[in-house]
Amino acid sequence: MSTHAPVIYLDYAASTPVDPRVVERMLGCLGPDGVFANPSSTHAPGREARALVEQARQSAARLFNAGAGDVYWTSGATESNNLAILGWARGSAAPGAARHVVTTRIEHKAVLDPCKRLEKEGVAVTYVEPEPDGRVDPARVVAAIRPDTLLVSVMHANNETGVINDVGAIGASCRARGVPLHVDAAQTAGRLPIDVQRLNLDFMSVSAHKMYGPKGAGLLYVHPARRPGLLPLQFGGGQERGLRSGTLPVHQIVGLGAACEIAFAEAAGEAARLTALRERLWQGLQSIEGALLNGHPTERLPGTLNVAFPGVEGESLLFALPGLAISSGSACSSDSDEPSYVLRALGRDVQTAQSSLRFSLGRFTSAAEVDAAVTAVAREVARLRAAAP
Amino acid sequence: MSAAVREHFDALRAAGRLAPGAGRIVTGEAGSREEGTQVRFQWRVAGDRILEARYLAYGCPYTLAACEWLARQLPGRTRAAPWPGAPEDWARVLDIPLERLGRLLVVEDALRAAAAAWA
Repeated sequence: MSTHAPVIYLDYAASTPVDPRVVERMLGCLGPDGVFANPSSTHAPGREARALVEQARQSAARLFNAGAGDVYWTSGATESNNLAILGWARGSAAPGAARHVVTTRIEHKAVLDPCKRLEKEGVAVTYVEPEPDGRVDPARVVAAIRPDTLLVSVMHANNETGVINDVGAIGASCRARGVPLHVDAAQTAGRLPIDVQRLNLDFMSVSAHKMYGPKGAGLLYVHPARRPGLLPLQFGGGQERGLRSGTLPVHQIVGLGAACEIAFAEAAGEAARLTALRERLWQGLQSIEGALLNGHPTERLPGTLNVAFPGVEGESLLFALPGLAISSGSACSSDSDEPSYVLRALGRDVQTAQSSLRFSLGRFTSAAEVDAAVTAVAREVARLRAAAP
Repeated sequence: MSAAVREHFDALRAAGRLAPGAGRIVTGEAGSREEGTQVRFQWRVAGDRILEARYLAYGCPYTLAACEWLARQLPGRTRAAPWPGAPEDWARVLDIPLERLGRLLVVEDALRAAAAAWA
């Protein structure tokens, strides 16, 4: 059990708790009586484990309208992003051919860093700027495509602002030009409906721990036509049809499969509830003088809100709110006091970016918690502003 | 962050402005919001002594905690040594990491500016 003082958890964009129903399914794979065997083994316990792994694959495929054979297990979206971007850039072009990748300035580091790695390997990368409302204009992405472009990578929704990109429009344009599209869906999988076929996706990255599954599990969807050009990044036992070697963690995969089943059944209703809670939160925060919404007002994830409180230093505001588990900037970079590169790309100045907080609501958030958060933020913003020159 | 930083940050009792009254008010300011740290000290002085001190600060929790701690130390101190120690000493007392010393130097600059105004 956790030992910290009670807090209101509003950081579902960073990580979600594992749903108790998922925990129950995972527990069935642990312990001497559980389905713990190596799914590559041919004995009965191994075959039983393999059956659960494949059942989970079916559940994931159904959630995303993919073929089960097009779902590959990974350790999470970071690995999936690396595999799609590095694996495709290294494996799909003829030796010595010019190579170019299009991505955006507001991607997660798990996309930007592989792209930087590719630049060191001689690949040209174009970083498309977002619009002031945080959305990526599909026309700008398409305009960046060149004859030697071998991949476009655009996130479905931004992890800091929650703003949703029109990956369907980008997917249609890419498909028409024969350029594969990779989508980092870490923030949207299980939260928004995703149909990889309707959206014309070639690769899609998913993390279990953002959708009430366990940490350390994820998947990469690969369009069957793209599989031959995708080079693995790790080698060993040849698991996952040679794309991702390593013994499959049955309990993690079963957890991700269970999370997909729950999302399939409940995501629509949950999105409506979270949208109402998010609006309640914004209505409350708007009463704080000068509060600014970062990003598009409606084209955003149901539970995510990013708000600036000009005149207040962000680190102090976060420190003043020990009863709230929230983020300034993205969780992955909040150890630094550098302003968020995403908010800066949206045109926010350094002080406004630094004064911003991300609130992300989820399955276990209540209206009472939202109201308590508004009260606490209003009180502390007023206190810190009163202490400022 | 340390318990000392938490305690002082949570109770910014000396934050604010001095109201006009007995004695002379001197002000010292340093830093800017653009640089991430801005500090203003006000002292009410009479003769050779500080009677009362207030501050306003924009910055990280360490900055605010240091200003609060210093403002509580200042009343009764003399022109010869208007504040206790140096930024390294304040960092030790409040358990502030050395990589944040730059913020404390801004606080010291504001104190120095107040002392110069008193001269």
